[in-house]
Amino acid sequence: MNPKLDELMAAFPPDSDAETEANSAAAQLQQIFADLASRPVPASSLHRLWTIGGLSTQIALARLSLWMRGWFANADEQQRQAAETNLRVALKIFHRLGYLRGALAKLGQAAGDFPQVIPAQIADTLDRLHFDAPPMHYSLIRELLENELGVDWEGRFQAFDKQPFAAASIGQVHRAVLKSGEIVAVKIQYPGIARTIDADFRNLSAVLFPMRLGKSWDSVKEQFEAIRQMLQQEIDYEQEAQSVREARAIFANDNGIVVPTVFGAHCTKRVLTMQYLPGRHLPNFLATHPNQDLRNSFGAKLLLTWYRMHAARMNYADPQSGNYLFLDDGRLGLIDFGCVQHFTSQEFEALRLSYLSDDTIPETVRELLRRTCQASDADLANEEYLGLMNDAIRWMKEPIRHPGPFDFGDEEHLRRGLGWFGRLIAKRYTRSDPMFVYFHRSVFGLRSLLYRLGARVDFQTLPIENWWNPIVDRP
Amino acid sequence: MRITAQAKTATRDRILAVAVELFREQGWENATTRDIAAAAGIANGTLFNYFPSREAIAAALLEEAMAGSDVEFHKRRTGNESLAEDLFLYVWTGLKSLRKYRKILAPAADAIFSPLAQPARQEAGAAVRVRHLEALGQILAEHGVPLPLPAVLLQLYWTLHLGVFAFWAADGSPHQEDTLALLDRSLRLFAGAFLKEAQ
Repeated sequence: MNPKLDELMAAFPPDSDAETEANSAAAQLQQIFADLASRPVPASSLHRLWTIGGLSTQIALARLSLWMRGWFANADEQQRQAAETNLRVALKIFHRLGYLRGALAKLGQAAGDFPQVIPAQIADTLDRLHFDAPPMHYSLIRELLENELGVDWEGRFQAFDKQPFAAASIGQVHRAVLKSGEIVAVKIQYPGIARTIDADFRNLSAVLFPMRLGKSWDSVKEQFEAIRQMLQQEIDYEQEAQSVREARAIFANDNGIVVPTVFGAHCTKRVLTMQYLPGRHLPNFLATHPNQDLRNSFGAKLLLTWYRMHAARMNYADPQSGNYLFLDDGRLGLIDFGCVQHFTSQEFEALRLSYLSDDTIPETVRELLRRTCQASDADLANEEYLGLMNDAIRWMKEPIRHPGPFDFGDEEHLRRGLGWFGRLIAKRYTRSDPMFVYFHRSVFGLRSLLYRLGARVDFQTLPIENWWNPIVDRP
Repeated sequence: MRITAQAKTATRDRILAVAVELFREQGWENATTRDIAAAAGIANGTLFNYFPSREAIAAALLEEAMAGSDVEFHKRRTGNESLAEDLFLYVWTGLKSLRKYRKILAPAADAIFSPLAQPARQEAGAAVRVRHLEALGQILAEHGVPLPLPAVLLQLYWTLHLGVFAFWAADGSPHQEDTLALLDRSLRLFAGAFLKEAQ
């Protein structure tokens, strides 16, 4: 006997939403956002899977719907009703199944990092998503590795840990031992993510852009495009492998900063195999109660990483704690190069101007604003605008100008930085070269890390090569 | 003249082999039982001694592939799988075993599994359904889920399974990776529902 509609519906967790009409991708996304904004993200995986929808599954919906509707062509009314009951339930299930690890999770991360581009309410809601993405089980991992490295992929390894030791927003990392004996970290991407991010980002653009009409419209569009391009870069592990190689060359002769070796023969666009570095992430490092000297030493290395990569026209643009390792021998490990800026000549010039800008020399500030923020004469005559920009530059330079070691653990310093940044956003003074979207993210990311580390660093003792201007002193 | 069991098996295998070729070359819609009989070198009436319909031929192909996939499923199992992982492994191994028939199976499955199919066609699909659900029951029992399952849950599972099947048959993504993701997600959901039942 076929179950009745109410029995079918009762078999699954309650869902108060009205049926979502598949009018347009943007409307669907708006529906999802409204859905997410109105209630907390559920904790249990079953409920979460039920609640969070994903645009990508609309493909499934469309195909399934077409296929199943074909069944009804010659049916009488009663049969049609019965079959459509099943169809509706199935469609609803499909609609609620999202690529949790996909664009929404990735965008959630991005949204939290770029308050100047994405409205706060959406950012807050999305930002919570990526923390509890379920891990991929080994059966799925095995299929993915078979697809990427070939059916004989197991022959490449002496051992392969079935449980991941780290999660990435769009994949996870397993420890393994290559046939040649090297211990490696194998990062594996969730299936289908690359294509869904692109599609979902287009849909997000469709929703967000109308909200941002105004004088900064073009700038916001460009900044949004910069984020899209970076996400595209982050999902291409071959590109990440190349960034790792470039960074490794930068730090080849540095005994204090280590970048893992890439094993290119075991890499694809979705699988990245690198040397495994044994070390602790910041929270675990802090749990060992390191002394101040050790904190200072790691702080100096974090800063050196930043400056040396800039000199090589790169930027470690996602300096969050998961991307660094604190090794027992005192070395700092850099382990994630998905989010790395490669500056064009024009961007490098903008970076140089920002290094040279000095709030005590007004012309340097005006030059920076004219050339990198498209500031007009009217903007430069606006005292509030100029004042905020000077605040920003002063804050950036504060640790450098400080005589002796600067205490990055000073909460007041970080608070001041977030203060001017918040005022810039509130006043919509966000027009700037798109490269500064990630540049500013890395500034705040790095300062936050140094704050948590409680490091004190004397800039005068840092071996930084002055590439921006041999005449002027350090920034 | 008596036909030996061996000869019967050979004829049956030949019918299946030429049917696959014809489905592939002419499409499910255009390949008739008459064409299949002719290609197999037998009379039309003889073919019906083996398979009462074209759908029965497709169902036999499905069943054979499924038998192979059962062996593969047990081979690939490590014994430490969660319920969601076991379900994933079982269904995906089944789909992989059908890969060579992927292009021809979408329309065939439509004819076999539709709830509105004619009784004879439903019968062809029923064997596949029963076999799949029996294996499902065995997996669930191993994970402590009490049997029999409520009819509602089974109905939903089978509906969703057909949806995944349809999606897979038309999946143009590399290595059908979109199906992998969809299957992973949907089976996590069902594993949760089954385990809730166990509680």
